Amino acid sequence: MKSLHPIISILLAVFMVVGLGAVSFAQEVELEFFQNKREAVETFDRLIEKFEKENPEINITQNHVPDAETVLRSRLARNNIPDIMGLGGNFTYGQIADAGIFKNFDNASYLKDIQPAYKEMLQDLHEGNSNYGVPFTANANTVLYNKDKFKELGLDIPKTWDEFITTAKTIQENGGTPFYLTFKDAWTIMVPWNSLAANLQGENFIKQRLANETTFQARYQKVAERIYKLLDYGQDDVFGYGYSQGNQAFANGESFMYIQGVWAINPILEANPDINLGAFALPAVNDADENMLVSGVDTVLTISKNTDHPEAAEKFIKFLLKKENAQFYIDQQMTFSAVENVFQNDPTVVDLKEYFESGKIAPFPDHYYPSGMQVPNLIQGFLHRGNVEEFLEKLDSEWNKVQSR
Amino acid sequence: MKKTSSVFYWMTIPAFILFFAFHTLPALQGIFYSFTNYIGFGDYSFVGFKNYINLLNDGRAFDAYIFTFKFAIVTTIIVNILSLLVALGLNSKIRFKNTFRAVYFVPYMLSILVVGYIFNHIFTFIIPQLGSQLGIGILSKNILGNMDLAWIGVVILAVWNSSGFNILLYLSGLQTVPDELYEVAKIDGADKWNQFKHITFPLIAPFLTINIVISMRGFLMVFDHIMALTQGGPGQATESITLLIYNGGFMGGEFAYQTANAVVFLFVVLAISFFQLKILQKREVDY
Repeated sequence: MKSLHPIISILLAVFMVVGLGAVSFAQEVELEFFQNKREAVETFDRLIEKFEKENPEINITQNHVPDAETVLRSRLARNNIPDIMGLGGNFTYGQIADAGIFKNFDNASYLKDIQPAYKEMLQDLHEGNSNYGVPFTANANTVLYNKDKFKELGLDIPKTWDEFITTAKTIQENGGTPFYLTFKDAWTIMVPWNSLAANLQGENFIKQRLANETTFQARYQKVAERIYKLLDYGQDDVFGYGYSQGNQAFANGESFMYIQGVWAINPILEANPDINLGAFALPAVNDADENMLVSGVDTVLTISKNTDHPEAAEKFIKFLLKKENAQFYIDQQMTFSAVENVFQNDPTVVDLKEYFESGKIAPFPDHYYPSGMQVPNLIQGFLHRGNVEEFLEKLDSEWNKVQSR
Repeated sequence: MKKTSSVFYWMTIPAFILFFAFHTLPALQGIFYSFTNYIGFGDYSFVGFKNYINLLNDGRAFDAYIFTFKFAIVTTIIVNILSLLVALGLNSKIRFKNTFRAVYFVPYMLSILVVGYIFNHIFTFIIPQLGSQLGIGILSKNILGNMDLAWIGVVILAVWNSSGFNILLYLSGLQTVPDELYEVAKIDGADKWNQFKHITFPLIAPFLTINIVISMRGFLMVFDHIMALTQGGPGQATESITLLIYNGGFMGGEFAYQTANAVVFLFVVLAISFFQLKILQKREVDY
């Protein structure tokens, strides 16, 4: 009998553990939070930790993978849909919304606290006027500049396109490099392109283009000419370097300006914490009051229509939208909040504040181009060849081709 | 009738089931989807041959085919010439033979993506630096950023990476040539070149066939190399068919359309491999 004692106690212990496990499994809700921003993984982890402390019965697992959009598409094909998603507000989001995969948020009370401009931006991406996601944060498409180097030459932030080019010329005449261009990575070309196109394409371009009432050839002449002009003020071999090399070079003071969005600020500060940097909206037009800042929905939060735990998932979204949490997120990520009355106060981006306050905000034009067109590569090819007419014709023919598929 | 041992069925049937489930079935599914307007999720409807008709008018797909063929042909030729030369060297009586063999085979074992990033660094920083020091204008810039030269960068990576495997195949081929033939040739007074031309080359012809078919097929499918080096750029200068299918199908939301493209490509690759086998096998000999 004595020899049985340890075995019995082990068995008892096992039963207890299994039993407890079963009890806690029965209560705990497991949710997957799939999000597409590599930079934000840690910030979300901290928010999730806080959320789980407040809601011990809900267990959220963050899932970030590289190339998240492609992965999500293949998961949708297998009908394996994450419970909660944080996605970019772009063409893909619109396509998935149209496929009827997201929950409809029209009756959600918390949608009232979101800036209407961002809700509309998302609605324009899909059919109808419903809300299939909640805008969480916004980004800004900017020109980053080295404040110390600007001071050396006594330069100010340019307010018009002509001033912008004059500034670049002055820098060049003083032996400096105005822009560090990273056009080996085609997507980085979209940063200046979006600022130029948003300001120069005119009213309702996408709607009219869809209705075949206008063409790229009619409306994009200036956009193409101006983006080509930038090549004169880049470093040597603008097609030889990519995004990460650009961040490094700009951080080390190799150029005065760097045409990138606010998302590049953190990587640059990581490469050189001492850099004194600022951001301004690319002045695409010559009437300074007309110029708009391009800003899009950086993260839209949404829920799968068929999740097993809709209440718990909604609880998490409500939690993220709370002022203190929204503020914490944008402070960490150097983005802007889509929640009303939550402001970004970092001195780096202080020059953008007037645009947000006066509402001079335009959406990213490329979020409305069909992604099958692969516009970045088309622009990259144009910048090599330099033939405006041929390029605009190509944009139109590719648009028509993709639309007819 | 002699009864076949059931062991042979046990050897073939599991593999057949796996192959069918994970290879044949998806391929058939792909052919099915190519007749729809499926975007990868959600609802879809049948569109008949629309995707195939659109494909005929797609200049972009045509350019991708041209690039893919140019790349595959050039790379296949370079790889096979280089591999045969190296294999001849390694088959002779030289010192450190095994070390050399190992060194040549190492690149083949490395992941193309990893090596690709290293080559990216070489093309971006090291070669331009050398080029400007030596005063060679064309090399002082990143060739991957040059529309006319970027494909050469891809060829260099592909040749470096895949030669090891072809060298191995040629080496095993060279070892099948009996030594007596060379001795006889020597007695007849044949020099090294004639020995190669009349003995070695004809006898390793089956290996030449398999090497050319395998490398051509592999290079037609080129993907990782481009992903790591240029992502199809500059412009569309290095956009291969597989890259176009991936980009358009998964990222561009044209799943069905690019599936049609993939089906066409499948038949093109099949036809080329078949054609090569027919032509090359004709000139194989048996002494």
